[in-house]
Amino acid sequence: MKRFFVGSTAIAALLLAACGSNNGTATNPSTGAANPIPVPPAAALTGAGATFPAPFYDAARFAYNQKFSQVTVNYQAVGSGAGIQQLTKKTVDFGASDVPMNATELTNAGGAGSVVEIASTLGTEGLAYNLQGVANGQLKLTPDTIAGIFLRHITNWNDPALAADNSGVSLPNQPITVVHRSDGSGTTYIFSDYMSTVNAEWKTKIGKGKSLSWPAGEQGASGNAAVATTIKNTPGAIGYVELAYILQTNMTQASLKNHDGQFVIPSAEGATAAATQFPDVTPGQFSIVDAPGKASAPITGYSWLMLYKDQADKTKGTALVDFLYWLVKDGQQYAVTVHYAKLPANMVSNDVTSLKTVTSGGSTLLTVSGS
Amino acid sequence: MSRGTADRVVPAPLVAIGRRRRLNTGDQIFRGLAYVAAILVFVIAFILVLALLLPALPSITRFGLGFIVSRVWDPVHEHFGALPAIYGTLVTSAIGIVLAFPIGLGAALFLAEEGGLRMIRGPLSFAIELLAAIPSVVIGLWAFFTLTPLMRANIDPFLNHVFGFLPLFRGTASGYGYLTAGVVLAIMVLPIMTALSRDVIAAVPRALREASLALGATRAETIWSVVLPYARVGITGAILLSLGRALGETIAVTMVIGNSPNISASLFSLGYTLPSVIANEFTEAVGNVYQGALFELALILVVITVLVNVFARLLIWRFKGSEPASA
Amino acid sequence: MNRLWVRIALDRLVVGLIAVCVTIAAIPVVILFVFVLIKGLPGMLTPGFFTDTPHPIGVPGGGVVNAIVGTLIIVGLASAFAVPFGTMIGIFLSEYGRNQLGNAVRFISDVLTGLPSIAFGIFGYTVLVATVGHFSALSASLALGVLMLPVILRATETALVLVPGSLREAGLALGAPRWRVTLEIIVPAALGGIVTGALLSMARAAGETAPLLFTALGNDFFSTNPLRPMGALALTVFHNALSPYPNLQDQAWAAALLLVMLVAVTNILARIYVRRIQH
Repeated sequence: MKRFFVGSTAIAALLLAACGSNNGTATNPSTGAANPIPVPPAAALTGAGATFPAPFYDAARFAYNQKFSQVTVNYQAVGSGAGIQQLTKKTVDFGASDVPMNATELTNAGGAGSVVEIASTLGTEGLAYNLQGVANGQLKLTPDTIAGIFLRHITNWNDPALAADNSGVSLPNQPITVVHRSDGSGTTYIFSDYMSTVNAEWKTKIGKGKSLSWPAGEQGASGNAAVATTIKNTPGAIGYVELAYILQTNMTQASLKNHDGQFVIPSAEGATAAATQFPDVTPGQFSIVDAPGKASAPITGYSWLMLYKDQADKTKGTALVDFLYWLVKDGQQYAVTVHYAKLPANMVSNDVTSLKTVTSGGSTLLTVSGS
Repeated sequence: MSRGTADRVVPAPLVAIGRRRRLNTGDQIFRGLAYVAAILVFVIAFILVLALLLPALPSITRFGLGFIVSRVWDPVHEHFGALPAIYGTLVTSAIGIVLAFPIGLGAALFLAEEGGLRMIRGPLSFAIELLAAIPSVVIGLWAFFTLTPLMRANIDPFLNHVFGFLPLFRGTASGYGYLTAGVVLAIMVLPIMTALSRDVIAAVPRALREASLALGATRAETIWSVVLPYARVGITGAILLSLGRALGETIAVTMVIGNSPNISASLFSLGYTLPSVIANEFTEAVGNVYQGALFELALILVVITVLVNVFARLLIWRFKGSEPASA
Repeated sequence: MNRLWVRIALDRLVVGLIAVCVTIAAIPVVILFVFVLIKGLPGMLTPGFFTDTPHPIGVPGGGVVNAIVGTLIIVGLASAFAVPFGTMIGIFLSEYGRNQLGNAVRFISDVLTGLPSIAFGIFGYTVLVATVGHFSALSASLALGVLMLPVILRATETALVLVPGSLREAGLALGAPRWRVTLEIIVPAALGGIVTGALLSMARAAGETAPLLFTALGNDFFSTNPLRPMGALALTVFHNALSPYPNLQDQAWAAALLLVMLVAVTNILARIYVRRIQH
């Protein structure tokens, strides 16, 4: 897999040198290794959806435009639900969501067979906290203590339940301020999916969803960034945040006990380890939380892109599948710089297979061999 | 035929016959345009209500009137109730107006005076209006970074210390909550209140003021007995406009209200407002009932605004016994 | 004697209170301005801020030229709709509106001011996005225009009503037709108030975010086409101010500072213009 990436990066570099970044046309890269990146026709594409993967999409679309200046991809992070809505109403070319479309959404879009969903990236969440004297990773949390905190059974940091897992750490006598997302989000969905899987009380009381009915006394902030900043500014606060934000703002996060009983600090590698445990992920069966495996990060999830199987505009459709093909292959390198994890190889080939089913006027749009 | 000023002052027969035809055409066109403009307002309002009402129907039919008194907001199990958001909206807006009205009126009284200190009146007036130029998102961010720690560390403890016997100021403060949101709203509403009051007060005829002073009244008495009554209707208009702004403010409030659907007497506790719920969950709401519930919240906001306006109008009619907004 | 003393004391007290009020009223704007200045200056001074389009994280530089142009176009179109329309309605209300119809219009206008800004976004979306199938700057202008309408309307009516009746009567007595009296005498006399209303609402419109989310959508590429998605400074601030990535944060704050400066300058210029008309 590594050789493949090195090889295609080399081709990409060659192409970049050959095409130049601001020419209107691009030369045909028909020579080269087994899977050349197809040259797209000129198009202006619009996408909307999740905020979770937005930094990755941003970096990727910019790089793609540098490579193929005839294609501009305008992505706006308005939220997963809005992204799906807009795709259904056909006001955007592709939608992005942390959660694949459910049965109702698929029906609204014209039936399960009319939409193609591909996984675009992999992200994981951590529990960030603000405790003086407790360094990064020092705080150890188990599914039960996390549930206890968020369900307000554990309301002070010196609670014996926490002390039991944290023998070497001195936890202060301080009320716990719980911060959650007030806006509907895929981050909340993945967190609640995990909690529902590992804690029976959570499953019945709260359930899983993008917006939840949180117990009283907890604070809501709108957006990953607002949650992160609130935690940073409030002593004794804890909340679930997407990894990229934790690392980028140098926050302290907890070590989480995963399915195998190991305490891991969430990381991109841990996300990849978790993802490889689920080789059969499809849009209908997409949960990868609480993965087995020593190094697996427990609160992990894919992020998805969706487009119509039958593209009305052939040029746009071709540019779109070309872009998405690049995204799941060469584009993955841009995920790493923003702390997302690359897609495992099997997901990439699943995605390519799905992309090959996209047609316009009866003919397949993606013209690559292999996967 | 409407009864405008012209009809009363210039009796038709006195106008030259040759001129009349030209008068009528120009006037008719102008009047026609004005009426068309007014009708278009109805069209816009109609479309707006429809755009909110139709998507809200699934929620209205499901929950009925219970929606307004229910405290539950559970998207997973699809139980929705608007009471905490209604409460929060009313409380924060009330705080905002209570804080902004006296300050705005006082400032307007200063700015509308003539003579002396003219050098600073202009710039001061401008500075206060400039507050309206600051985008609400910026005020929200400033409140998030600067105001909340200030409230948490200084102002809230002080209020708790001095006024803690009142249920309003009980409990520990986190810096977020109703009071902070109310302060933010007051800041946002201040320029409207000040500028409009200032314009109204400035229009009080100088002769009236001078007559009062000549009769031996102090400035304070002149203000109380002459200026304010004359400007009363305009000032009420300013309050209404400010209240409208406060009720509908979304982004700045969302950043400091705490986004927690509970109801509490203490102004320090976290809360929710109707616009905040809508803004937070609109983009991710899936399903007709969930989306419908959010649209229904918007409708409730419209209803509250309508009620406030009706109430204000009744108040004015009791005072004046005639139509509002006349000088 | 006592009563006089009390009256004078009260007078001093009230005057003092007024001075306090004015000082308090002027403080927030100073604090906010300084805050935005401190946070926004670094971003504004980076080269390329005014000329580049946004770069993603990891790529240094970048700017907000697309958002600048976007704000100008969107607010400009919105004003082109709302100012004439709103002024006309204000004229209607003050000249022909002493009746049920006028009251109804006033009532609706007051109610419109109370709507959350997101409702105007929904309006713009329903009328101009869902119908044509794509986002556009025009739909954002429609949403903002309707948002601006009540303020302009109210301010115009108030300003016109406060023009003394004697001015109207003089104009009519000189034989001018009603519409000329209105347009050429009354409106100029009330121009200060009308301009105030127009400026206040333009200021508000330029800073609004929620109505733009589902209408203009935003655009990281440079575009002047009002029929396509467009970026705006308010959107840049909203999306990036809390971003953990420093160059995006700087850009957002600089965009906020730019917005504030733009509107401040518009205000100053308009004041000068009004003063010149009146003298």
